[in-house]
Amino acid sequence: MKTIEELNNSKVPIVIIDPKLAELDKKVLFPEKVEKAKATIAKIGLPAKRQSR
Amino acid sequence: MNLPKYQLSSSPELSSYEFISEGHKGLIPKRIQFTLVNHQGVYNLAFGDKDPVTGEIDDHTISNNGDSEKVLSTVVSAVFAFLDQHPDAWIYASGSTATRTRLYQMGISRFLDDISENLDIYGQIGDQWYPFERNKPYEAFLTKRKFS
Repeated sequence: MKTIEELNNSKVPIVIIDPKLAELDKKVLFPEKVEKAKATIAKIGLPAKRQSR
Repeated sequence: MNLPKYQLSSSPELSSYEFISEGHKGLIPKRIQFTLVNHQGVYNLAFGDKDPVTGEIDDHTISNNGDSEKVLSTVVSAVFAFLDQHPDAWIYASGSTATRTRLYQMGISRFLDDISENLDIYGQIGDQWYPFERNKPYEAFLTKRKFS
């Protein structure tokens, strides 16, 4: 269990889970953009090297 | 990152989010969605204004509600929420217009020092990905959690 301080300093937000929003997952927003992303990654791949910390 | 941000609501899978922008143009509902692109665990980040009447999402207009920094901070927090549940995911984002891509770039630049502690961020120029730097003309963006 995280402390209050850890929660306040975390970059992960506290999110309200709304079961009604599950319907949103079924419909892809902007499928043309998903296709564009797919085509870009297929063409140029992913970055080869991880950045150092 | 303790910048102001809006309260997010999310689907149980943490793939779709909604929040409400509040500004001089009133209340503007907004939606964020992460959609799986390929078998490598790349997800597309989609973001836009929700029409309160039709429910349709518009990713072309810039609503200019006077809270762009807070909106971008909220989108970034959704990225962290999603990656918390999908730690090996890559997130791809590009604007539907050059203006929106530029807006995303400005947002990344604004928060870069903070988010680069936890995220590897890349920008696309031509057929290459480059580590993100301010003031470069990127076409799209890619991010992944750093190894812990």
